[in-house]
Amino acid sequence: MKKIIYISVLFILFSCRKDVKLKLPEYKQKVVVEASIETGGPAIVLLSNSVPYFGDFDYSTPEKSFIKGAFVTVTDGTIIDTLKELDPSTGYLYVGLKITGQEGKVYSLRVTIGDKTFETSTTILKPAKLDSLYFKGEQDTLGFMWQTFSEPKGSGDAYRWFAKRLGRDQFYAAPYLSVFDDKFIDGKTFDFSYDRGPQPNEIKQYNDDPEKGYYKRGDTVVVKLCKIGRREYDFWNTYYQNKASNSNPFSAPANVISMFDGNQDVFGAFVGYSPSYDTIIIPKNP
Amino acid sequence: MCLINNNLVLLISLKPPNSLFLQALKNYFIFVFLFVFGNIFSQNFSIGGSIKDGTNGETIIGATVLLKETNKATATNQYGFFSLTAPKGKYTISISYIGYKTVTQEIDLDKNTTLNVSFSPAETNLTEVEVVTKRGNENVQNTQMGAVQLDMAEIKKIPAFMGEVDILKTIQLLPGVKNAGDGNTGFYVRGGGPDQNLILLDEAPIYNASHLLGFFSVFNGDAIKNVNLIKGGMPAQYGGRLSSVLDISMKDGNNQNFQVDGGIGVIASRLTIQGPIVKNKGSFIISGRRTYIDVLAKPLIEKSDFKGTSYFFYDLNAKFNYIINDKNRLFLSGYYGRDKFVFTDVEGGFKTKIPWGNASACLRWNHIFSPKLFSNMSAIFTNYNFSFGATQDDFEVTIKSGITDYNLKYDLNFFPNSRHNIKVGANYIFHVFVPTSVSAKQGETIFDLGKTIKLYAHDAAVYVSDDWDISQNFKINAGLRFCNFTQIGPFTRYKKDAFGKIDDTVTYKTNEIVANYNGLEPRFSARYSLTKTASLKASYTRNFQYIHLASISSVSLPTDVWMPCTEVIKPQESNQYAFGFFKNLKDNMFETSVEVYYKTMSNQIEYKEGAQPSDNVFDNPDNAFTFGKGWAYGAEFFVKKNVGKFTGWIGYTLSWTWRQFKEINYGEKFLAKYDRRHDASLVLTYDANKRWNFGMVWVYGSGNRGTLPNGFFLYEGSLSNDYGLRNSYQFIPYHRMDLNVTFSPDRQKKLEKRKQVLIEQYKLEGRDTTNIVVTKKWAKNFSNSFTLSVFNVYNRYNPYFIYLTREGDFTKGTLKVGARQVSLFPILPSLTWNFKF
Repeated sequence: MKKIIYISVLFILFSCRKDVKLKLPEYKQKVVVEASIETGGPAIVLLSNSVPYFGDFDYSTPEKSFIKGAFVTVTDGTIIDTLKELDPSTGYLYVGLKITGQEGKVYSLRVTIGDKTFETSTTILKPAKLDSLYFKGEQDTLGFMWQTFSEPKGSGDAYRWFAKRLGRDQFYAAPYLSVFDDKFIDGKTFDFSYDRGPQPNEIKQYNDDPEKGYYKRGDTVVVKLCKIGRREYDFWNTYYQNKASNSNPFSAPANVISMFDGNQDVFGAFVGYSPSYDTIIIPKNP
Repeated sequence: MCLINNNLVLLISLKPPNSLFLQALKNYFIFVFLFVFGNIFSQNFSIGGSIKDGTNGETIIGATVLLKETNKATATNQYGFFSLTAPKGKYTISISYIGYKTVTQEIDLDKNTTLNVSFSPAETNLTEVEVVTKRGNENVQNTQMGAVQLDMAEIKKIPAFMGEVDILKTIQLLPGVKNAGDGNTGFYVRGGGPDQNLILLDEAPIYNASHLLGFFSVFNGDAIKNVNLIKGGMPAQYGGRLSSVLDISMKDGNNQNFQVDGGIGVIASRLTIQGPIVKNKGSFIISGRRTYIDVLAKPLIEKSDFKGTSYFFYDLNAKFNYIINDKNRLFLSGYYGRDKFVFTDVEGGFKTKIPWGNASACLRWNHIFSPKLFSNMSAIFTNYNFSFGATQDDFEVTIKSGITDYNLKYDLNFFPNSRHNIKVGANYIFHVFVPTSVSAKQGETIFDLGKTIKLYAHDAAVYVSDDWDISQNFKINAGLRFCNFTQIGPFTRYKKDAFGKIDDTVTYKTNEIVANYNGLEPRFSARYSLTKTASLKASYTRNFQYIHLASISSVSLPTDVWMPCTEVIKPQESNQYAFGFFKNLKDNMFETSVEVYYKTMSNQIEYKEGAQPSDNVFDNPDNAFTFGKGWAYGAEFFVKKNVGKFTGWIGYTLSWTWRQFKEINYGEKFLAKYDRRHDASLVLTYDANKRWNFGMVWVYGSGNRGTLPNGFFLYEGSLSNDYGLRNSYQFIPYHRMDLNVTFSPDRQKKLEKRKQVLIEQYKLEGRDTTNIVVTKKWAKNFSNSFTLSVFNVYNRYNPYFIYLTREGDFTKGTLKVGARQVSLFPILPSLTWNFKF
């Protein structure tokens, strides 16, 4: 809504824009931790450094932002799993070998890089299931994914939504604003829809895709609804706010609420996902 | 002097009470009492009354009334009332005001006397200094600091954006008052926020003084008489805000003749009708303004991506007043304004309507008990509300927010003798807040969003102040204001655990006290005269503010929500110390001043990191706030020329504004967004002759501060911004020049020319030329003028905001980054036609 006002105002009053050279205050790089564990799966941790704008970082060598040789452990209280750095020559991806996620368990993550150690934890909650899944056409053969959901009673629940087209997508993709909590919908049965999210690292292909954001008749789609905790929800929720506020003058600078409380050197989340799956074969004809 | 001694003797003989403080207080009151009333029984008489413009019956605010023999002077108050006291005798009284012929009258003061004077504007030729004066040296001799009074005629001469005369834009040109850049009427006084300004339109507080996201203010220049800004040393009769008072008086309406004024501008038109209801007794004024961007832009919009968008705003001002008799006068004034934004996407099935605006009404009764005692009673209603309604297919959502005040006020102005001007008063406001209430439904399903949340509060204050001439050179204004704020039920408090989950609710019943705060506000200012035209002044004021504007963005938006103090939000408090030197030059032709100030503010509000002003469903908005402190200091320099062909001012401010919040910026102090190291403005107007007037404005300000992303990170395969420290980026300086020229065709001259032509013609025809009379064909009193204004003459691209761009793919090593600056207004000429008959 704000955007609508703002766009029309700019339009009406002939705004003008030009490229400028900026001298930004000095930037201190942060460690970025992208960690998750889901029911039946290993702990996966991606480690990189954030990158300055207009700093001395060479954008043609993005792999220089990846962190190599970190010591990463995940524990469920009894077993300590030291994660393996899959490709020591590039770093970045660390995977657990001993622990697989189990419902109801609390997992603690510890990342040691050089002389610095960062810690946080997450819980895999009890999953919640969708009532049904259906497709609603928007134009020609394209449309959005709709579902009916009876939200379990008791406030404070939060969810993240993913989907994958079988045979077409490599990963489960989360669309923009893929998290929601039960503030409005606690204990209610209601319908909601999502558009199709981009595959990781394929933003450009996604933006150029004529099917951008849509599912197509004939697709087989698996929807994965994950229950997540409150802190995890806050992280994702502020993550999307951050995406929405690229220096928008009508919003405050939205820093993401990190799960590493108050530590200025690190930033990120460790999310326990508790998925439930539903599959739909979208009929070729309406 | 002997009077003081008597009192001191009396004081010394008093028995010492227990507490030192109590003793001091008691002594003070006795001292004041004796001093004030001590000579009430001596052979002194008062002269008081009201001063009016004889041509239209408008009362005149700030006219100087001088008793020549005693050299005692006073200025008329906001109702045009004055009072002076002197020993029995014969006096010459002189009344003067800028642009008016000075009136001198002989009076025989042998009893208390009422004197109502009507005087008339001078015949335009402003160069004759001897007949038209300003307030004399009132600015030097009064105790008030940090105050500026502007007459509407003065404001109208200054170049206006898109030709729309704007009070708020004009006061932003004064030192110590900062603008927020283009497209924003919000103003920042001595380091305070835009919600810390008490904006009064005929005593009714206006909660959102801007139209169209702040491009225009809600005040229609044609309906306004006078503007008074107080940015420091706030007198005790004002309260409820930390930083400033902007007191705007509406015109009363012409009680002599019917009069129509109007104007047609590029984006809006105005029309004002005023006239007597009963000649000399009662009058009315109705003034309206509406924009027509929606109509003009429609054909363009229909073909663009903005199809279905429509926006307009309008204002209505009305006022009636009736003089019952010499001692009683009634006023009824009102304002109603709305902004309306509509967007319809027929194909997408999406529709939204966003209306917002203010409404206010004020009923006032001026009563003059005697030439020494004046009173005013007001009953005021004011309301601001915002609503947002959207439908998408069968999904409907409505969001509402607003504030409504029911306000009663009683003020007494007592002039016991010529040395004192005592003000006593009380004010009670009942506030009803709607801090965003949401309702939503989808087809038949109504979502449970709780009841409409309303918050209720009592807001009461009493005050007393005395403007006291202690000696020829020394004058003080001492005041005390006591205020109480009570939030009452019904109210539900949602308490959250560490994970943001509600784990407890507390429910308060109707009228049950939720939170209760008291505040004692000392207000003190003093003036010491060095010479007749030079003085030193000092002031200390403490203010409390019990209502807050919760604003997430850097500009004021209609979505900003007013919140009362609750048990979570504590009252804001400020303490301000100011010191100044005032000097008038060349027979008061130039007014100059230097003021320095230091101000502290506590319990300032910001949204917590990552919090959004959303709904209040099973939540309280104040749960999203975090609290901190602020402090500001600076120096203001001001030179103003009031009379002559050239008038105008130069203002310069050097200032610092800091904020510190435990939960923001890792607890480190940071410069506020509108911290402005250097701020300068130059305003010049030149009245070349009856037909041509010129105006110029130039402003300069150090760049605003902002928080830009200075890094980015990869997460789930896409890039996001990492913001730097709060307000760590400084924008480039803001500067701009505006010009205007007004041409007023001289109809008299035209008629004269026509007469000459006829004479020539008659002569040629051999006819008698002595009886030629050329009459105006229509509207005998018609006059008109054309104003061409040019905004941003040298087309400076001032930054509105800056955003960073990323192109290419980071993981593939093809990323390119850039920065883009958005500026709002390039050079913008506009033409306005004004008329009057």
